[in-house]
Amino acid sequence: MPVYRHIARLSLFGLVFAGPVTWAAQVQVAVITAPAAPRLAFDKDTLRNVYLKRIFVDGDGVKLAPVNLPADSPLRGIFTRVILHMSEQPLQDYWDKQYFQGVSPPYVLASDEAVVRFIAVTPGAVGYVASCHVDTSVHIVMLLPLPAGTAESGLCADHTGAP
Amino acid sequence: MSRHLHRPLVLGVIALVSAFCGVSRATDATDATDATNDHSWQPAPYSLGQGLYFPDQGLRIGGYADVHFFDLSGSKADSSLRDVSLFVTKDIGSRWQLFTELATSRTVNVTGAQNGGGGQAKVDVERVYADFHATPAITLRFGKFLTPIGEWNLVHADPLTWTVSRPLSTSAAFARHAAGAMAFGTVAVKGRDLDYWVFADDSKNLGVGQDADDAFTDYTGDHSPRNNFLHAFGGRVLYHLAGDSLAVGASFVTYQLEQPRHDYQLTGIDFTWTTRYVELTGEAIYRTGASPLSSERGGFVEAGIPIVSHLYLIGRIERYHTSVPETTTVVRTEALNYRPIPGLVLKLEHRNGRNGEIVPAGWLASISVLF
Repeated sequence: MPVYRHIARLSLFGLVFAGPVTWAAQVQVAVITAPAAPRLAFDKDTLRNVYLKRIFVDGDGVKLAPVNLPADSPLRGIFTRVILHMSEQPLQDYWDKQYFQGVSPPYVLASDEAVVRFIAVTPGAVGYVASCHVDTSVHIVMLLPLPAGTAESGLCADHTGAP
Repeated sequence: MSRHLHRPLVLGVIALVSAFCGVSRATDATDATDATNDHSWQPAPYSLGQGLYFPDQGLRIGGYADVHFFDLSGSKADSSLRDVSLFVTKDIGSRWQLFTELATSRTVNVTGAQNGGGGQAKVDVERVYADFHATPAITLRFGKFLTPIGEWNLVHADPLTWTVSRPLSTSAAFARHAAGAMAFGTVAVKGRDLDYWVFADDSKNLGVGQDADDAFTDYTGDHSPRNNFLHAFGGRVLYHLAGDSLAVGASFVTYQLEQPRHDYQLTGIDFTWTTRYVELTGEAIYRTGASPLSSERGGFVEAGIPIVSHLYLIGRIERYHTSVPETTTVVRTEALNYRPIPGLVLKLEHRNGRNGEIVPAGWLASISVLF
């Protein structure tokens, strides 16, 4: 979606050039892809269907590979609530049923850094990280504000240069 | 082993061999850190209920196993039914995926000491198909697959259902499997997701796994009619409302059964409503045909209520009318479903009702694991 991309580019520009204090105050959930983004209209509904494996390929036939953070990651909890609108048990039931259909849940990578490294070199991969972990090797397709009351400092604690 | 199993077994073996030999390397290596290493058979960490996954091969091997115990009117109390199913999923490039499910079941004596109390084990190719992801909204499937009528038939594995027994409305009037081609996917309609399935069956000529489809699980003996398709054409839609908390579906199929060989039309509706305190599901079907004896209709409503952590109380009422014999069966089912850890399910169930020739009253229990 052009508007999302425009906002995302402006936000990334701001993140890169803003000072550390300002940066920490603006942490968001960044949905990222390889520099050559999949040919999809990225909105919340599409992203949800990518992560629920209801959409398997993009408009060019490139296989989509959504990746998750570990189950105990606070950012994964936020992403699941905001995008998937499912709590833990219904989501477990959903994947059990999909497994019976031969569909696997998104692969899990250990950290935001691992997600960025993987996304940067994998066409069709889609991931989400705290925006403080984003660098120029990936493309932001969407930025999601953190829910009110989220402790932002923990989301960037392991990032070099984070306050 | 029945000679009827030879052809489906060959297809299953072809799928398995293709999967294991790796017709092509998966292109979606899922661990960037290992991209330069030769760890192509390094499995991902195993979790119960998710299968053994080899990311670099795009290969997943898993399945489920269950043991049913039953004490029903007209059955031997010391009998059990054991099922094992093996799934193999293999990605072929970015657009193709192979899937097969091989299943075996056996009725045995629970004590085991009597030796010879059981029936013969059967091996069936429950499903074998290739998926082609044509566009974001269309996937094409070729092979033998589950008939897309209602929700239960698509997720009928014991670890995935609330109860041991299966409602008649989910199997008695149509064949559980179809062999042919199907298109399915998800599209947005007015901002909400609509899942769709459209399929064409030619079981008469494709003849994949003809032995597998009983009209219903007959615990008291192998007397249930076989209701495989000869030909069929139909589809299903499922509309998601309020996120995924409410889904409403409708099905329509026109078909000819192998036995009795009549033409039928079947219309079905189904719903699932999930809240924090209860999950309500229901399905209903209405079948008609040229012969007045073709008419069958019925439906059920089922509620699952969490009572303590991982323990659920289930209640279900079903009404089903058949023309041959001319009878209406009403079945009430109460059950407990305990899921101590993901992948493991224990069930205890009691059912009774009126006109129980098809569905005898009594107790059922099962232990099942998704592995």
